[in-house]
Amino acid sequence: MGSLLRKATTYDVLREHGIDRRRFVKFCTMMAAAMGLEATVVPQIVEALETKPRLPVIWLHGLECTCCSESFIRSSHPIAQDVILNMISLDYDDTLMAAAGFQAEENRKRIMKDYAGQYVLAVEGNAPTADGGVYCTVGGETFLSILQETAENAKAVIAWGSCASNGCVQAAKPNPTGAKPVHKLISHKAIVNVPGCPPIAEVMTGVLTYILTFGALPELDRYGRPKMFYGQRIHDKCYRRSFFDAGQFVESWDDDGAKKGWCLYKMGCRGPTTYNSCPTFKWNNGVSYPIGSGHGCIGCSEENFWDNGPFYERLTSIPVPGIESTPNEIGTVAAGAAMVGVGLHFISSMARRATQKKEEAPDKEGR
Amino acid sequence: MSTAVPEFDPQEIALHPEDYFRRQLVWQLPVRITHWVNAACLIVLFLTGLYISHPLLAPSGEAVRHFVMGRVRQIHFVAAMIFTVSFLARIYWFWMGNAYSRSGFPYVWRPEWWKDLFRQGTDYLRLERGHAHLGHNSLGGVAYTLFVIFLGWCQIFTGMAMYSESNPGGFLNRVFGWVLPLLGGSFTTRMWHHAFAWGFVVFAILHVYIILYDSTQYGNGLITSIISGYKFYQKGDFKED
Repeated sequence: MGSLLRKATTYDVLREHGIDRRRFVKFCTMMAAAMGLEATVVPQIVEALETKPRLPVIWLHGLECTCCSESFIRSSHPIAQDVILNMISLDYDDTLMAAAGFQAEENRKRIMKDYAGQYVLAVEGNAPTADGGVYCTVGGETFLSILQETAENAKAVIAWGSCASNGCVQAAKPNPTGAKPVHKLISHKAIVNVPGCPPIAEVMTGVLTYILTFGALPELDRYGRPKMFYGQRIHDKCYRRSFFDAGQFVESWDDDGAKKGWCLYKMGCRGPTTYNSCPTFKWNNGVSYPIGSGHGCIGCSEENFWDNGPFYERLTSIPVPGIESTPNEIGTVAAGAAMVGVGLHFISSMARRATQKKEEAPDKEGR
Repeated sequence: MSTAVPEFDPQEIALHPEDYFRRQLVWQLPVRITHWVNAACLIVLFLTGLYISHPLLAPSGEAVRHFVMGRVRQIHFVAAMIFTVSFLARIYWFWMGNAYSRSGFPYVWRPEWWKDLFRQGTDYLRLERGHAHLGHNSLGGVAYTLFVIFLGWCQIFTGMAMYSESNPGGFLNRVFGWVLPLLGGSFTTRMWHHAFAWGFVVFAILHVYIILYDSTQYGNGLITSIISGYKFYQKGDFKED
């Protein structure tokens, strides 16, 4: 990687790595298509990557499993691996950097000072807040304090993956470490959430390319996710949608419907409630995605997806403490209780009427 | 029973008119129409809703020949739109209609309202006729406010939010989309929509029973009143609302 102090552009670094211009422009075109932009934007992307100094990025790892990084380095375009790793100057990344120990931490402090207000903070994982944040420490400091300190002078914050975006497994009930997603720990900063466990590599690349090209965050939805990648439900782009509308569902694994590739709705597929680009980009160089492989979507890019279980049921239990039942169970009990109450009232009023009739019998003529 | 009516005698009636049942138009036409439209829609919505959450039919052959799930959803959505219009029309009539269209409104800040609520509750428990209201009594008003108005709004907001998901950024999505993050995502929104639906079942059981009970106990023509609009009252009943 070229030194950051030379302020090399992405294109410079790519050329150093032997990538010719033709492949470079092809990458720019692919990125424009991925972001849903029109062809006239391609020259803008080319120009940005040619002229703008590379984006300094500090990549922090909190409570997480590094699946976001694993996904990121497996971007599907032939030269994407190079491009991604060269496009941004990854100055500090616990997992990927060469420096170690005090040297590494010094590196982070130096970037924060030299590039104050210019660097992008990419956060993978989230921070535990219980007991002063002791459940995740790096170099003797709690991750919570590192996160807040590094975010202070960042230009923008990217929350990679479901951990950073909405908490994921460590924030699932009962959340003993008090893990909280980034947007609940950092305020007054532009934050882009890129959920998914992990997010799709092309989505991650696309977000970075957008920030580098336009110098701003992409348009975000209500959850702070880029609309271009999280604007639509998996269900609405699913190739099995026709089976859903027809009413042809897989009833059990390995049944006839499963072999015919029918809709996985009844197997608890979260496609109708999940916003992501899986049907568009797919995974592993565009080979397939969960539904394509015959398994329902588990909604890994949605908030609380671990708590909304079980994965193979359509209805979860009511998320009210003390209630461990699904809406149908509660509804049946409530309706049953109403029937019993009504029945008791009816029986007693009948009994009352019978005794009254006996008493009133001689007096029937009068009013 | 106290409601037993003596043989018809025009002279006697003319002498003591207050001793006899008299007729009063209570439910105006819009109230009756919205009542039955809401009832029909809720039945359709509950049944199609259950089907959508657990589709039973399994048509065989090519998908292109079938539209079972799509049709059930379509019926659900159409019924939902009709219900919404009818629901809003009834709310409009709350202000525009006669005094009975506003009867039962929970005036929780008025001591008389609480007194009436207590009186009606004990009358039901003691199986006594007491003094019937021509409109809704306080207890009925609580039931309508919680089960119809509150649940109705819950279902309209959650339902419209989910319906809007198929057209992100569209009009309905902009108006109702905020409901989804508020309830913790579109999965939990579905869960609540499903749970709230059972409230209408509980309401229907209580509503139908109380109507039958009141109608026999009070002799005020309650059942036919939602078709004809007329109810009957006698001395001591609350005529005003």
